[in-house]
Amino acid sequence: MATTADGFTAHHDADHAHAHHDADHKPGFFARWFMSTNHKDIGTLYLIFAIIAGIIGGAVSGLMRWELAEPGIQVLGQIIQFMGGDGTTIEQQGHMWNVLITAHGLIMVFFMVMPAMIGGFGNWFVPLMIGAPDMAFPRMNNISFWLTVAGFVSLMASAFVPGGPAGNGAGTGWTVYAPLSTKGSVGPAVDFAIFSLHLAGAGSILGATNFITTIFNMRAPGMTLHKMPLFVWSVLVTAFLLLLALPVLAAAITMLLTDRNFGTTFFNADGGGDPVLYQHLFWFFGHPEVYIMILPGFGMISQIVATFSRKPVFGYLGMAYAMVAIGVVGFVVWAHHMYTVGLSVNTKMYFTAATMVIAVPTGVKIFSWIATMWGGSIEFKSPMVWALGMIFLFTVGGVTGVVLANGGIDDNMHDTYYVVAHFHYVLSMGAVFSLFAGWYYWFPKMFGRWHSEFLAHVHFWLFFIGVNVIFFPMHFLGLQGMARRYPDYTPAFEQWNHIASWGYVIMAVSMLVFFVNTFYALFAGKKAPGNYWGEGATTLEWSLSSPPPFHQFETLPVIEEHHSHYDHIGEKPAKA
Amino acid sequence: MAGAKNHDYHILAPDIWPFIGALAGLTFTSGMVMFMHQEFFGDLWHVVLWAGVALLIATFFGWFTKIVNEAQRGDHTPVVQLHMRYGMILFIASEVMFFVGWFWSFFDFALFPNTLSEVIGGEFPPKAIEAVIDPFSLPLLNTIILLTSGTTVTWAHHALIHGDRDGLKKGLWLTIALGVLFSAIQAYEYAHAPFDFGGNTYSSAFYMATGFHGFHVLVGTIFLAVCLFRAYKGHFTPRQHFGFEAAAWYWHFVDVVWLFLFIVVYVWGGWGAEIH
Amino acid sequence: ADPAVAEVTDSPNTDLSAASEVNANAAENRSVAEGEVVAGDEAGGGFQHFGPEMIKGQPEAGAYGFQPQYSDNGRFGLWMHDAILMPIITIISFFVLGLLMWVVFRYNKRANQVPSKTSHNTLIEVIWTVLPVLILVGIAVPSITLLARQYESPPENAITIKANGYQWYWGYEYVDNGGFEVISNMLDEAEALDAGEPHQLAVDNRMVVPVGVPIRLQTFGSDVIHSFGIPSLWFKLDAVPGRINELMLTIDEPGIYYGQCMELCGALHGFMPIAIEARTLEDYNAWVQTQPGGMTVEQVRAQAAQEAAAAAAPAAAEDAAEQDGPAAEEENAEVAASEGQTA
Ligand code: HEA
Ligand code: HEA
Ligand code: CUA
Ligand SMILES: [Cu+2]
Repeated sequence: MATTADGFTAHHDADHAHAHHDADHKPGFFARWFMSTNHKDIGTLYLIFAIIAGIIGGAVSGLMRWELAEPGIQVLGQIIQFMGGDGTTIEQQGHMWNVLITAHGLIMVFFMVMPAMIGGFGNWFVPLMIGAPDMAFPRMNNISFWLTVAGFVSLMASAFVPGGPAGNGAGTGWTVYAPLSTKGSVGPAVDFAIFSLHLAGAGSILGATNFITTIFNMRAPGMTLHKMPLFVWSVLVTAFLLLLALPVLAAAITMLLTDRNFGTTFFNADGGGDPVLYQHLFWFFGHPEVYIMILPGFGMISQIVATFSRKPVFGYLGMAYAMVAIGVVGFVVWAHHMYTVGLSVNTKMYFTAATMVIAVPTGVKIFSWIATMWGGSIEFKSPMVWALGMIFLFTVGGVTGVVLANGGIDDNMHDTYYVVAHFHYVLSMGAVFSLFAGWYYWFPKMFGRWHSEFLAHVHFWLFFIGVNVIFFPMHFLGLQGMARRYPDYTPAFEQWNHIASWGYVIMAVSMLVFFVNTFYALFAGKKAPGNYWGEGATTLEWSLSSPPPFHQFETLPVIEEHHSHYDHIGEKPAKA
Repeated sequence: MAGAKNHDYHILAPDIWPFIGALAGLTFTSGMVMFMHQEFFGDLWHVVLWAGVALLIATFFGWFTKIVNEAQRGDHTPVVQLHMRYGMILFIASEVMFFVGWFWSFFDFALFPNTLSEVIGGEFPPKAIEAVIDPFSLPLLNTIILLTSGTTVTWAHHALIHGDRDGLKKGLWLTIALGVLFSAIQAYEYAHAPFDFGGNTYSSAFYMATGFHGFHVLVGTIFLAVCLFRAYKGHFTPRQHFGFEAAAWYWHFVDVVWLFLFIVVYVWGGWGAEIH
Repeated sequence: ADPAVAEVTDSPNTDLSAASEVNANAAENRSVAEGEVVAGDEAGGGFQHFGPEMIKGQPEAGAYGFQPQYSDNGRFGLWMHDAILMPIITIISFFVLGLLMWVVFRYNKRANQVPSKTSHNTLIEVIWTVLPVLILVGIAVPSITLLARQYESPPENAITIKANGYQWYWGYEYVDNGGFEVISNMLDEAEALDAGEPHQLAVDNRMVVPVGVPIRLQTFGSDVIHSFGIPSLWFKLDAVPGRINELMLTIDEPGIYYGQCMELCGALHGFMPIAIEARTLEDYNAWVQTQPGGMTVEQVRAQAAQEAAAAAAPAAAEDAAEQDGPAAEEENAEVAASEGQTA
């Protein structure tokens, strides 16, 4: 029964596959890291990049929480002065706030979550899991990465050039709404930010092409689509979302550029343009984008839950097609971000109904994970703990999404902290918890050394407490009406804000633990065997050494009809 | 590299072009910003923008030369050729979505013309547009040119498949000539259009949509020219010539986009307006 | 509806070319407008603004729900959230948490050495697909009802008030009352405390509106997008350049209701609050007459009738025609409604 299979071990001839030949001849430093055509090295580059971006984006959010800890404006002026500005007027400070939230949003979305999930884990494990020696287009793979870096540089550059009369940097919000982003922000900063999205977007489109081709075309003999591990499914769906959504964003931000610089009036009301058109175009991309950020996470959680329950994933086909359904429906719900722009009542009713539909396939995922654990023999290794945290916190974020989906209710929630709470529960918890789960799950596989399980658990608990203390009170603030994108607030909002900012401190401590653990693992960690999680770990990457040889599967593994979770479980190490 | 390689996939040696390509992209976009903000950057764009363009051209040249060489060397096994087919189809799919964005804005402006703006006055084409281009003069001619070029490229393809190298070259020459003719007519049309670039929704959407199409025609023409050059160098066999096919696919895609532009923008979009 | 369009474009605040000047000369514009309003208030004499004891719609320290609601739709929304959505999402979240806890305790390695091999159960899969569908249908019914109520069209006697968003303050245009505009800026902390009001919410000139009378509330963005949001009235509508949005709002009781700009609009987005002062219709009419060019709806009608008569009798035309009469404002609504539907 092909349909039960979410994993298998290789049946390939390990003996001569990677004994001691060319496969492990690594190029020199420069060639290896700047000219790479190796999916694992490129994956590593992406992960390092994402961590650096995460540190920057996380530090920016630290400044934000510091400022919001109390009413009044305390730190913005100092930040401006630190960056060489004057910073004394309220306009300058307000602008600085907008620059911070814009940078934070863009960095976290485009330069932390996406590179980590798709570029990092996708690159590393899609070829390994389908039994392929590399990606379909190894050279293009590399330009995808470097374009992401180029985009990041462009975004950073924007912080140091004028973004309007009130100071440097792009202060448009990550949504870059016109006409604030056109005639409302003169100066080169916003152009740099827009090009940043062009560059990173081009990289992602090429990456999507690469993943789809790889998955369709390079599966090992016998691995039908319905035998593919769910992580591969998740990347496949994600790649389609990227391929079809990003070009529309590219068109939209190109219109921004020409409106800004060449006199077109797409969004300029003087020339009959329609600012709301920009929002339609943006969210036609933007909503699929939020699933782009979570689907690979879903995929990783599926692998992890199955591994540590020592059971096959429950309802494999349902799980795969739930992701397909989320991806498809995700394209027709975008205007739920625009309930207050003046849509007609019928439009709002349609988008309310359509949006709620997504709760159904997502529920299928949640319940199938639980059913996978049901009857299992669960080991609470660090990845599993993060996965459990993710399932619960994502549910909390998901159900508040269903509240927001109601057009009439969202009227009183739109652009309040309720929305901020919602999307941090699905992102800073759903997506980030999946990232850490994946990190601990695969770290020894990627780098050949063990992290400390103890520190990983400490990291988990502190992070879990920290982010909940940050973001749970934001629901209350939002219900009470606290607006987003405000550097200052009326004293009634102080209490919850203060608590949230303390939560950040707890979270920050946990991140210290994370970094200590990572460095410990890299430099002093115990050597990890090929399949260190034991019999629950059944996908192809576990049939290889840790780290896998520079070029794996030089002889393709063969997946036979009878292969399922219960054959050949355990180590089938290559003698590398 | 491929020592004990036991499969047909293409494992590549490290390559510097991707890095240079990304650098080229960043240089080019930075140069554009500098060009658009000379009040801040002065003349810096001269250097940066042109350096970016040069790097981009170098990258395309260097990169595609490598691919061609690899193809000639026989690295492109059937499965690798299949990769390329997938890759090209997906790339074209993403291009389609790019044009969806431009058509979306055109429809928005046409179906819901702004009533508050004086240059629009609730009409489409807007009040400020005194006349539109007559769709059944040059645009129709261009439609015919592109459709014809679609047949000539198919002729070239058939010739190639049947080992008729001469026909291949002729077909390509003709296709390229038609492409160039199209671009020339388009340029003439722009120069003599009864409305300027920008300033109102119609001329914004018109120029950007047809402009991006024109850019794709240019790219397609270059792509075909490369194929022609390769044909003279003796590349392509009746059984393996994906470089040519990709160019032809791309050309057809550009053709189809034009048909939509012609019907939507030129014919429907200007319906009832004064023509010029 | 063309004459109405012309009206809208002719009035200085919706004129689009003027809008960009507003952008450039914001500061200047501000002071001029302030001057006007202050003068109007002084002229009023009889009218007294509410003091802080009348504040009703404001956030409360440490609260964790919606603000109390002062409109019909607000109460419906609040009920729907508190009685339907909150229980449902709480139950779902705890249900998921409970299941997770259960598997953690029951199916950990110690408690269950040998994992089962079950990977399918059609019945349960159907259940967890169908049940959420039913729940969502249950949510959709009141949700659609709420939307339908929010979009009821305003009756004949509705009073049109237009909120214009500027970088970074609000202007309230009393379309049916002579067309004057009240410019409203945030009070700074000291001023607000002086007035006994919460800072970041208090303003110099409130938006005075009648109680119990349907208000045809229009929004318009003069430079970039702003958003007119009042949490305690369950009202939020973006103020977008190039289109006039409109929704009906009816406030139950007199009081002060605070709101804020809810769409990122630049450096001082956080500093352009809204304060609505809802008054009885009599008070409202009294206040209106304190404003420059302000008239009650009756006066406006009378004047229009007079003008019509004057037009009919050319002899009387001279003096009546001098005044800037408010014109066929009623029709604005239709234009706006159709505008609001675009896209
Ligand atoms: C990972 C990212 C992610 C994910 C997965 C989601 C998932 C969802 N989101 Fe969210 N969302 C964002 C990221 C995300 N969102 C971001 C970033 C924004 C703000 C952007 C900005 O303005 O800056 C946003 C904003 C946003 C809005 C606009 C709010 C506003 O601005 O006013 C809305 C409104 O409908 C919404 C809805 C939803 C819904 C219905 C889901 C659903 O997919 C959730 C489905 C999941 C569940 C429901 C839980 C599990 C299901 C069950 C246990 C089954 C049973 C459940 C039921 C029967 C209810 N989101
Ligand atoms: C993935 C997306 C993401 C993530 C992770 C976060 C994380 C955090 N965000 Fe978020 N935030 C956004 C996306 C995200 N945010 C977006 C889109 C907006 C809207 C912007 C706008 O309005 O335009 C926003 C806005 C926003 C606001 C509202 C600002 C305003 O409206 O005025 C606030 C306020 O407190 C905030 C705080 C925080 C905090 C304290 C964290 C902390 O959780 C941060 C802690 C840091 C981490 C959790 C990252 C750690 C990760 C790594 C170091 C990499 C690890 C990598 C591997 C393992 C490979 N954010
Ligand atoms: Cu005005 Cu935000
Ligand atoms: Cu969404």
